[in-house]
Amino acid sequence: MKKVCKDWVTNAFDDNLVNSSYWQEFEENARAASAEIIHAKDLQAAQTAISDLITTLNVNKIIATNDETSPELTALYKNIELMGSEIYTNKFDIAEHAPTADLGISMAEFGIGETGSVCVDNYSYEARVVGMLPPSHIIILNANHTVKNITTAFQIISRVFKRGYMGFITGPSRTADIERVLSLGVHGPSRFFIIAIDEMPTRRVH
Amino acid sequence: MSAQNRNLHKEIKEKLNNNVMQTALSRFADQYPKARLKAYANVDNIEDLRDSLRDMKRKTVDNIEQIANEFETSIKERGGQLYRAKDGDDLKQHLLQICLENNVHRIVKSKSMATEEIHLNKYLEQHDLHVRETDLGEWMLSVAGQKPSHMVMPAIHLDRNQCAEFFSEALDENIPSDIPFMIQTARRVLREEFLHADMGITGANFGIAENGAIGLVTNEGNARIVTTLPHIHVVIVGYEKLIPKIKDAAKILRLLPRNGTCQRMTSYMTMVDGPTPVIYKKGDQWVEEDRKLYVILLDNGRLKAAHDPKLKEIYQCVRCASCLNVCPIWTLVGGHVYGNIYSGGIGAILTGLLSSLEDFSKFSDLCIGCRKCESICPGKIPIPDLIDELRSRAVQEKGLNLPEKAVFQNVLSNRKVFHTLLRIASVAQKPVQSGKFIRHLPLFFAGMTKGRSLPALAAEPFRDRTSRLFKKNPEKPTMRAAFFSGCNLDFVFPDTSESVVKVLQNLGIEVVFPEGQNCCGKPVLGMGDRDTGCKIAKKNIEVFEAANVDIIISACPTCAETLHKTYVELFQNDSEWLARAQAMAAKVHEFTSFVADKYKKAGRLSPAKGKTTHMITYHDSCHMKRGLGIFTQPRALIKSTAGYEFTEMKNCDKCCGMAGAFGIKYSEISLPLLDEKISNIKDTGADTVAVACPACMMQLRGGLDQQAPNIQVKHIADILAENLPV
Repeated sequence: MKKVCKDWVTNAFDDNLVNSSYWQEFEENARAASAEIIHAKDLQAAQTAISDLITTLNVNKIIATNDETSPELTALYKNIELMGSEIYTNKFDIAEHAPTADLGISMAEFGIGETGSVCVDNYSYEARVVGMLPPSHIIILNANHTVKNITTAFQIISRVFKRGYMGFITGPSRTADIERVLSLGVHGPSRFFIIAIDEMPTRRVH
Repeated sequence: MSAQNRNLHKEIKEKLNNNVMQTALSRFADQYPKARLKAYANVDNIEDLRDSLRDMKRKTVDNIEQIANEFETSIKERGGQLYRAKDGDDLKQHLLQICLENNVHRIVKSKSMATEEIHLNKYLEQHDLHVRETDLGEWMLSVAGQKPSHMVMPAIHLDRNQCAEFFSEALDENIPSDIPFMIQTARRVLREEFLHADMGITGANFGIAENGAIGLVTNEGNARIVTTLPHIHVVIVGYEKLIPKIKDAAKILRLLPRNGTCQRMTSYMTMVDGPTPVIYKKGDQWVEEDRKLYVILLDNGRLKAAHDPKLKEIYQCVRCASCLNVCPIWTLVGGHVYGNIYSGGIGAILTGLLSSLEDFSKFSDLCIGCRKCESICPGKIPIPDLIDELRSRAVQEKGLNLPEKAVFQNVLSNRKVFHTLLRIASVAQKPVQSGKFIRHLPLFFAGMTKGRSLPALAAEPFRDRTSRLFKKNPEKPTMRAAFFSGCNLDFVFPDTSESVVKVLQNLGIEVVFPEGQNCCGKPVLGMGDRDTGCKIAKKNIEVFEAANVDIIISACPTCAETLHKTYVELFQNDSEWLARAQAMAAKVHEFTSFVADKYKKAGRLSPAKGKTTHMITYHDSCHMKRGLGIFTQPRALIKSTAGYEFTEMKNCDKCCGMAGAFGIKYSEISLPLLDEKISNIKDTGADTVAVACPACMMQLRGGLDQQAPNIQVKHIADILAENLPV
């Protein structure tokens, strides 16, 4: 999958700026922005959480992306398929099914304490439609990857952002254009879930 | 609509009678300040963030050509195209060419005020292109043929029933006024537009020279879809949006969402850097290729502004529109009366620069100089000062219109004529006078006194009382002070001037009143007539030089600010007068801050003890609080006075609506502001309102006389004088 940076952990992060110490502020701010946070111990727990959501949201069709850092996630998608869900992970399949999918799943690089945002590397077309077209979106995040604020987020971004498409997502799509009444899901998803995994295997990409 | 054909008073009246809009705006004005501060609650120091944004933007504008070149190089290196459009026509022709070359039929747009500025949609539609705004509010307005009334909340002037009408009309369906249903309908309809569009047009909240990325901040996510689905992306960005480095984006992003929508971050912050992949079905084959990226840098007056030593400050604007959210006038009349695409204070300035000085002049009156906007602007733009600057340029270009010209140039600049006229008026007003107020005025002046009495001119002005008063000057004075009364304290409130003199004498100070002093000149300068203003300033400087005093005291914050700050600015290019203005400025003190300081040193400023017989509240004058930064001292003085229990009122520092001549010229706006102030005063239960500004005193006394005559308005000088030790 095309990315701004193939391996953020190696090329952009450092332990002083990116660690687990901003988790609490991140969680508070993300919830305040109407993100729904599920804390999972490991990928196994994440898989359970996702299949629960598939049931409660009455999902028929899923589009999902992954990068090369996590073959475990590929396995997770496979398991979801084995459990009987229609799931597409090939980029052309994603493009074809994006307008009709019920759920998108993709990954974030890190969370930002100050705002509750997740930083997403969306150079690829498929990562963008996964997050924008279906009515629900699940983001998978390594819970140990949080930064203090927007300033530190940009310190990290500036190390690798040479070209491409990236940004922050902070809760679901919203508008207040009619009588300033907050309404979710106007163009993008109305439900935005962050599954934060404590023990997330990561691998260097060469 | 062209500026000349407008009847501004009529438009204002319509807006004031529009209940839907009035309800929306007053609720918003009430909620915004608190919500904004809540968004900043987890920030150490807002001022540091504002300073860093301002400094970064200032540095950028000083190197704008170099930054623009770097941005262009970065875009081209990544395979994008960049075109510099000198104005709207240039941009439109270029864009149409791109559409023709690429066989474009359907366009979706997101987030571009600049295209509103040049009326792009109309042009494209005339060339048979199907164009859709995708921001919900902008889409509704475009359907209704209306203009946005706010940069961030374009449809704030509408309610759900009006929105439902637009929906029904646009879709030819009967759409109920149920908000979630309307939102889902918009999603369905606009999704089709996204999926079938050939081209996406966006603006940019910032453009980064270092890597050529543009940044887009949205809540709905429409900008993300516009930059994802169509094969062609056109970015239309003004020069003022350019920033040097990737890290500089953080400086904008920590302020823009908090000030704009009271969020710590909007739902989506998206950066697009160079052409990015798009996957689509070619024939029956799915293919992936890079989309075409065209960036158009729009000048349209911006580069000229960048080289203007004063007006280049508009480059510090990040289009958060918070200056509208706190503007006492905007929150009453909404955005449409400003008549142009950018409304409010910053809108007036942008209109002057990007449209014409003529369009600017028509609505620049609607800034009352209260400086509320300046106090929260993320880029710290001195909006009222820039408006003053443009006013003065408009006057230089076109001259003042006739009635004002006659008053300013012939009357105000000649003290003897002016003062003789005031004396005649004090006699001529007798038929309509009742006690100390003029309650009714004949014919067309009636609007001035509806809901507000205007003060009567005093029978004996202060200048006729001085010989009696100065007999009581201390025998061995500690210093010699000249009193600058200003017009109000001389001719309308001479009793308050007496109080000022008594308080100063009690401090062991000898007080003198240079007879040759004239109006400070603010009314003239406020209208942009700098030549007459300079004449008045020179006369006053001469008079006070001759008085040979240690200090100059003013009990009017507007006069104090004018003598202390404006005179110095007036003579920036005249070294002789600059030195004389500076020497005078150094001696000028505002009365309450001066007295508070003296009282503190004498141990007289501690809170009073004992029984209280009055409940008192304090109204901050705009010029006092935000012009001079004085707001603790008046409160300390009140609290140190025996017999008063102090209580704060809601919105204590919001303009009372007087604002110099504005209160008379636009009485239809002034009076609602006064009513709001009076209701906040009443809510405190106070029987006394303290002020430190004669113009506010005039407005509040006039309003309370008619609406709550039991509540007294007192200048702090009067309160202090009443309580002087015998």
